[in-house]
Amino acid sequence: MSLRPPPVIPRTAGIVFAAACVALGVVPVVLDLSAYAHNQLTFLFITIAGALAWNWMGGFVGQISFGHAAMFGIGAFVAGRVSLNLHLPVPLSWLAGAVVAGVFAIGAHPLLKLRGPYFSIATIGVGEAARVVFTYWEGFTGGSSGLSLPIDGDLKYQLYWWALGFAALVAAASVVIRRSSFGLKLLAIKADADAAADVGISAPFYQDLVFVLSGAVVGLSGALYASFQSFIEPADMFGFDRSIGFVLTAVIGGVGTALGPVLGAIVFVVVKLYLLDSHPELHLGLYGMLLILVILFEPLGLAGLFRRVVRRLRPARGGGS
Amino acid sequence: MERLLDLALSAILLAGLYATMAYGLGLIYGTLRVVNLAHGGVIMAGAYLGWTLHEGFGVDPYLTIPVVAVAAFGLGVLMYQLLVRRLPRGPAGGPASLLLLFGVWLVLRNIAYLIFTGNDQTIRTAYSSRSLAILGSHVSVNRLVVLGIAVVIAVAMHVLLKHTQLGRAIRAVAQNADSCTLVGIDVNRIYTLTFGIGSALAGVAGVLLATLFSFSPNAGASELLKSFVVVVLGGLGSVFGISVAALIVATAEVFAILILPSYLTTAVGFLLLVLVLILRPGGLFGYRVLS
Repeated sequence: MSLRPPPVIPRTAGIVFAAACVALGVVPVVLDLSAYAHNQLTFLFITIAGALAWNWMGGFVGQISFGHAAMFGIGAFVAGRVSLNLHLPVPLSWLAGAVVAGVFAIGAHPLLKLRGPYFSIATIGVGEAARVVFTYWEGFTGGSSGLSLPIDGDLKYQLYWWALGFAALVAAASVVIRRSSFGLKLLAIKADADAAADVGISAPFYQDLVFVLSGAVVGLSGALYASFQSFIEPADMFGFDRSIGFVLTAVIGGVGTALGPVLGAIVFVVVKLYLLDSHPELHLGLYGMLLILVILFEPLGLAGLFRRVVRRLRPARGGGS
Repeated sequence: MERLLDLALSAILLAGLYATMAYGLGLIYGTLRVVNLAHGGVIMAGAYLGWTLHEGFGVDPYLTIPVVAVAAFGLGVLMYQLLVRRLPRGPAGGPASLLLLFGVWLVLRNIAYLIFTGNDQTIRTAYSSRSLAILGSHVSVNRLVVLGIAVVIAVAMHVLLKHTQLGRAIRAVAQNADSCTLVGIDVNRIYTLTFGIGSALAGVAGVLLATLFSFSPNAGASELLKSFVVVVLGGLGSVFGISVAALIVATAEVFAILILPSYLTTAVGFLLLVLVLILRPGGLFGYRVLS
């Protein structure tokens, strides 16, 4: 029996995607970007990777996590500690952060038996507990005074390509997962875990797997973010607002779509740039409004909107939906 | 020994607040199968409304309760009519309703920031620091009043659900909404009223909270979590179950001081939540757990 999910993304999109990655790769060299733009793009790539990885759990499996900041923070602080105390090369420390964050996610196994709102609220609990524990674990996180990570200027500059490569990999992985039989199994679990079990798809196994992958990638994005900021503080890294950030970027971009979170991340970073500096008091409410509008009118978010526009522009190709 | 008695007393006093916080969440979840993620936001809004009436007009905080209840009821009705009603029912609406009400929470939080800034506030009255001697330990008058109000609310809830026409209709809709339409119950009206009553209870809980603890626009996450633990532990059937569960949660939290370093006691509520969800077998089956 061969089941093929309908093509979510047209083939040309693959070429466009590769071209976009190459273009972004040469932009800093060709255009002689300002340090500011260079940094903002780096931040955008890190945000994209995190949002996509959240979406594996929240969108593909349908388990909304409000606690991904735990893995983000763990990735960041483990990477920071590894490079500070063990003096390993920074990229290796990122990897260590990702691995530990993934292992932490395995620890969430008992939670994954929970479904729907039970899972979501349990993740708030885990996230908040992690925040409290790590904020007071001064030996590891530096407590309220945080952790400074000396990073040399070259690496800080190169971080752009590390982050770009990372985001591109995660995006490619998202598309592959979405279109593979693995992705179909996740869809089945999302639709009805009991029915999926009846046809031999073990929800606990696949959820564990996705949660570990998602946790490791979010941990890696936390590790890169730590190098990017060169100063990290547990109250911020493990904060509830970080967890909210993953939810908002992914949902506004298009929860469950392969690349929607990329759009969400772009909006997130642009809003942060233009609104957070001038009107910091407005940004949460704005996201809240966006979230409400998306859920009510376009459940697939910006990706759904994008698809609708494309369909309207090309009525001739309509028909199969 | 004396210390244990002190702790037991403060657990009982705290339980009243926790029970009041939980009724609203439980009522809405039990009837609509929607977890009101804006619950913590409504509690926070209730706290601020009580505080404003107290600071601005000199009203005794406990006398603001009727006003806050009516306002929160209105907010709940609006939330249902404008937003929740538009979602698909059943499992398909699950994640959507979570995210939607989460959005409402963010908006409420932001409005509170805009009006009241992010500073911590407390309600202080002439009798805030007064205490009574009970069984040899000192008990703050405020906490006693909060417990008294919580008991009154529990009794009122019990009467409403068990002995009024509306209560019977709510329980019937919770059991089977489709059959209710057959016997002429306006399900949509019941949902609206339930959401209103649930929000009113959350608003009142906010006032009670504000008389005991400081609060800021960020308040709400831990209130939501504690309410949820209480609801899961206590089930939805009875006010009694929720009251007992509130006592268990409050006791666990208060007695954790004996074994855990003080900074970790804030995490107890969260850990308790996770433990309850994992260990209580009913929690394994998601939506069906509380039916």
